[in-house]
Amino acid sequence: MNAPFPGKAQEATAEATFRPSPDRCFDRLRRDGQAFDTNIQKIKKSSARLSKPAFPARLPLLGEHVFCTMEKKGRERYEVNPWTGKAATVEEWLDHLRSNPEIMANVTYWHTQPARPARTVPLPASIDERLRGALKRKGIESLFTHQAAAFEAVRRGRSVVTVTPTASGKTLCYNLPVLQHLLADDSVRALYLFPTKALAQDQVAELQELANLMEADIKTHTYDGDTPPTVRQAIRNAGHIVVTNPDMLHSAILPHHTKWVKLFENVRYIVIDELHAYRGVFGSHVANVIRRLKRICKFYGNDPLFLCASATIRNPREHAERLLEVPVELVDDNGAPAGEKHMVFYNPPVVNQQLGIRRSSVLESQKLASLLLRSGIQTIVFARSRVRVEILLTYLQELVKRELGTKSIRGYRGGYLPKLRREIERGLRSGEIRGVVSTNALELGIDIGQLQACVLNGYPGSIASTWQQSGRAGRRHGSSVTFLVASSNPLDQYLIQNPDYFLGRSPEEARIHPDNLLILLDHLKCAAYELPFEMGDTFGGEKLTDLLEFLEEEKVLHRTGDRWYWMEQAFPAHGISLRSAAQENFIIIDMTEGHRVLGEVDRFSAPTLIHEEAIYLHEGVQYQVEKLDYPEKKAYVREVNVDYFTDANLAVELKVLHVDQEKASPSGAIVRQYGELMVTSKPTIFKKLRLRTHENIGSGPIHLPEEELHTSGYWFSFSEEAAEAKSANDMQSALLGLANVLVHLAPLHLMCDPLDIRVVPQVKAVHTKQPTIYFYDRYPGGIGLSQRLFEIHDALLAEAGRLIQGCGCMSGCPACVGPIEEVGLLGKDLALGLLRRTEGTA
Amino acid sequence: MSGGLRDRLERLRAHAAAVKQAETEAREAAEAADQAARPDGERTADGRNGLPEGSSAGGAQAGPALFAGRDAFAELGAEEVVTDQGAFLLRKAVYPLEHRHGHYLLEQLPVYAAELKPIAARQNKKRAEEETGERLSGDIETGKLLFLDTETTGLGVGAGNVPFMVGIGYADLQDRLFVVEQLLIRHPGEERAMLSYLLTRFNGKTHLVTYNGRTFDWPVLVNRFVLNGWRRSGAEPGHLDFLHPSRALWRHTLPSCKLSRIEEDRLGIIRKDDVPGSLAPELYMRYLSERDPEHLRGVFLHNERDILTLATLSIHFGGLLAGRLGAEWALPEESEELYRTAAWLDAHGAEAYAERLYEALLARRGEPASERWVLPAAARFKRLGRLDEAASLWLRAAEAAERSALPSVEAHVELAMLYEHRLKDLPQALRYAERALELARRKPLPARDPARGRAEREALARRIERLLRKSNAPIAR
Repeated sequence: MNAPFPGKAQEATAEATFRPSPDRCFDRLRRDGQAFDTNIQKIKKSSARLSKPAFPARLPLLGEHVFCTMEKKGRERYEVNPWTGKAATVEEWLDHLRSNPEIMANVTYWHTQPARPARTVPLPASIDERLRGALKRKGIESLFTHQAAAFEAVRRGRSVVTVTPTASGKTLCYNLPVLQHLLADDSVRALYLFPTKALAQDQVAELQELANLMEADIKTHTYDGDTPPTVRQAIRNAGHIVVTNPDMLHSAILPHHTKWVKLFENVRYIVIDELHAYRGVFGSHVANVIRRLKRICKFYGNDPLFLCASATIRNPREHAERLLEVPVELVDDNGAPAGEKHMVFYNPPVVNQQLGIRRSSVLESQKLASLLLRSGIQTIVFARSRVRVEILLTYLQELVKRELGTKSIRGYRGGYLPKLRREIERGLRSGEIRGVVSTNALELGIDIGQLQACVLNGYPGSIASTWQQSGRAGRRHGSSVTFLVASSNPLDQYLIQNPDYFLGRSPEEARIHPDNLLILLDHLKCAAYELPFEMGDTFGGEKLTDLLEFLEEEKVLHRTGDRWYWMEQAFPAHGISLRSAAQENFIIIDMTEGHRVLGEVDRFSAPTLIHEEAIYLHEGVQYQVEKLDYPEKKAYVREVNVDYFTDANLAVELKVLHVDQEKASPSGAIVRQYGELMVTSKPTIFKKLRLRTHENIGSGPIHLPEEELHTSGYWFSFSEEAAEAKSANDMQSALLGLANVLVHLAPLHLMCDPLDIRVVPQVKAVHTKQPTIYFYDRYPGGIGLSQRLFEIHDALLAEAGRLIQGCGCMSGCPACVGPIEEVGLLGKDLALGLLRRTEGTA
Repeated sequence: MSGGLRDRLERLRAHAAAVKQAETEAREAAEAADQAARPDGERTADGRNGLPEGSSAGGAQAGPALFAGRDAFAELGAEEVVTDQGAFLLRKAVYPLEHRHGHYLLEQLPVYAAELKPIAARQNKKRAEEETGERLSGDIETGKLLFLDTETTGLGVGAGNVPFMVGIGYADLQDRLFVVEQLLIRHPGEERAMLSYLLTRFNGKTHLVTYNGRTFDWPVLVNRFVLNGWRRSGAEPGHLDFLHPSRALWRHTLPSCKLSRIEEDRLGIIRKDDVPGSLAPELYMRYLSERDPEHLRGVFLHNERDILTLATLSIHFGGLLAGRLGAEWALPEESEELYRTAAWLDAHGAEAYAERLYEALLARRGEPASERWVLPAAARFKRLGRLDEAASLWLRAAEAAERSALPSVEAHVELAMLYEHRLKDLPQALRYAERALELARRKPLPARDPARGRAEREALARRIERLLRKSNAPIAR
């Protein structure tokens, strides 16, 4: 746990001192320029032909061309580089890039998606004249094929899920049928759900614009925590379209449905955008909120249609039907045009042959981004963590300070206050802000216009996310480019070497588990609060009477005859948050001058991000945590200026509570089990790492209480025979190596956030007394992830074997079992050997 | 999948219990020292010790059988009412108008009820706007008041909060009676019957008299009507909610504006053996699980007294608006309350009676003038153009500010303006302005809004500069 390699001198540009990355694995071929794939060959040729000046000499600002006319959602927009008065096309910039051998040496693959023309159909004859006129004034005289298909399906009385990429005009897919109906019948109501407040506000602005153009009295309002109490009543009684989020629906609207009689008696459409965002724990909660919503609608004699839109996932229709529990028609015939799109796979160069250290992906991302920004290309940079966002932001602001000014490059992430976020979004739309560094917070469809370039600092973790983030760059006309900059993380290195794995695979599935007992029981309470249950009712997939009787025994419900009534003083929705991570945020208070709320951090991140003495970065400024008031959920920070950041360790203990399922491999070498676990975790120490070099310059203890998690898990252990003749040390290395591979493979199969699942290897587990690897869902009660892994166990291990074997390194590297410093010199062989023996081949 | 649903639920329960126990143990350990210091028998968290033990009748109700329950209810004076919507229990208590509740006799109610009109006018503005067809005079008649107080199963006005007891009161002037009716449901299934009966009691009434009924009791009842299939038709009932006037008068002089506090400190009502209203939900839950009506004895009693107190409050506020204060009724002891009452009368169109109180206020001397009423009272005199009275108060306030750790500069500024514009005495004006700036500099900037503090200082500096210019005094000396 303490600094593992004291005294070792390392390259200043390394990604992290304790994580040297290998060169042998992947780089040899490329360096020698021998076996490039055909694409690279082509690029080489063209670059030889052009032979333009070398990098990193600044790319010349190009030509007098005007950026091509961009158009999004009907707005005409011209973009001219405001600093030089000159403008360049992305195409020309890319030509220059191609001619730069220093950069091109690191490009492992260059994927080009050709431009796609629009496919349209005339506006349906039935469309109301006012609506037709308004659309015309917005420049819309025909519909894209998918918009027409959605309209037609709704006309037939079907619920719909539309799956098309960003900027394909999917809002019209639901706005068109809703507005059409509202124009014909003023009493009709619609409820719109967006995962965030920002998205809701965008939507209201758009609907109001349309209503104004139609000169129709269609009242559209957001209803969320920011809605002033004075207008709430008016919205409840008279709002035609109420735009809100699932959290608000859960805690403010449904429990007070009696105040919303007008809405629930007349709601014909429930619009749910960003459907893919409702997965995992959050999705499981939202599925239950929708069960409650349908129940209330039914009480008021209503059965609305669901009009949904989703980013690309593998199973949109199945996901929609699991979430909504109604049959849904899929519309995925995208008729929107798109400009040419370049996807560039970029692997940072090896800087130290002996240790196999690559240049930091942060530094490389920063380099690419600053090249783009200096050429006047509006760019978004995605980083995987808040800390990375802040580090990248600091570097970039420093770099372009003289040319662009720091205000033109901004950060964006959860934890920034809403006002600041709105300001940044506006700046991006207007073009005033030229660059933004973001976490996946900007992955959702918040309207920031369409940018021209995107730099991904590290693989975002899923194919779907990658396409969504890269979709932030790309317009209907004109080219766009996305750089995927690999980190030394195994998954990144695997993908950068095997672009087909990424490009040839459909995006992941969205999975939810609405019948997680804890989640289900929580919402059952809320539902009982809203309306009593009656014998014969249904709610979710478990046997309802058993659940109701359980709650009756717990004295939460009171049974009279065949009815169960809520009978507790509490207001159940208050104690239940839909977003596990957002449960009880910690507030960060800056005490540098007076008291100022700086931002917030979710509960799970708090122990490792804002423990005392931690360096907390906000908008590129460093703050040191002086005091963490854990019970009050407040952290007090003060601005500092130091040359390091902090990184904390977490110690985890496991206890098996119950085994639900067990299975042995044919040879008996591996026994796997699925069941309930108790996980105790406690932050232990933190390290101080020097900025830029990431060299360890000190450490300290963290004093925080441990946290308990009752969840479901899956684990497998190796028999005596399989473990035979292995010292504890060797076994440790083998298990650690295997776990390092599995921790990256598992989320890939589950399409979950890598943080949702945990992997822990133990040489002699308390429960099995054998060498064991544990997986568990990082959510109370589990959300079905470990269970799924239990089912695909064989495939998972086979793939792990393939990955280790296929890796070009000698004895282990961060791209497979982990660096030799962590797993030892024999780590790779040991892990592979362990796997082989269990197959019965050894 | 895993074992049966029941098994999983049981494990969940076992775990929850273990966690709870651990938490309890931890808490107990932490509180151990604290506990040791407390006297024995202090009320525990569940309030058990706080309950009146009911009469020995409770002991006789051994079985939880329904029959036993019905008998016990009869003992509490509650009887079953059967409607076409089902049954519920009704308890009736009848008081002669000569009955005294606190300082007042119930027969004063018809004397003062009409005086309450300005309060009703204030509280039902919105309704008056909504009403187009049916013209409401807004007049208050004793016979058309319905006193209302509910006991509910929980907090808040969500759809799941059930009023298990609805207490209503009304005056029967013909027979010179005040009637309290308490409607109780023995289980949630009886709600519809109770509500339909309640609706009949709304007939012929114009106003609901409540304490916090506008934002609690009434919305909760509306929820129940909606949930049971009724829809709103016609006008909202008028409200006479005494929480708001009570706050206006006593917010600063009483530790809280809870009804029990006001009863004891201002209305002369002492409750013996009272079950606090906050315990009512828990007692009802206990009744539901044990079926012993004796648990509800205290709730019935508490609710009945609340209804009577609503009548007492009506008399009190009616009397204030009729100018009894300073005539038959004694003035409040504290100047703060005297000022609040005067300001409240001002706001309700009783300026003449307010004036009497303001004069009494000016006459009070020798009190620490740092009290918060001084400046607003001065502002009132200024508004009325009575600068002499205003100035005397400003002088007192300015003096107090000089001694205060967190001074307000308002009085100094007002005096500076007075000297500058009215009395044309520039040196005096300058003296006060400079003094004000000194005070402003002495106090720290407000942590929440430092900009406001800076703006105040800048404004004062500008004022001084202007005064210096005006008086042609040499700037640098």
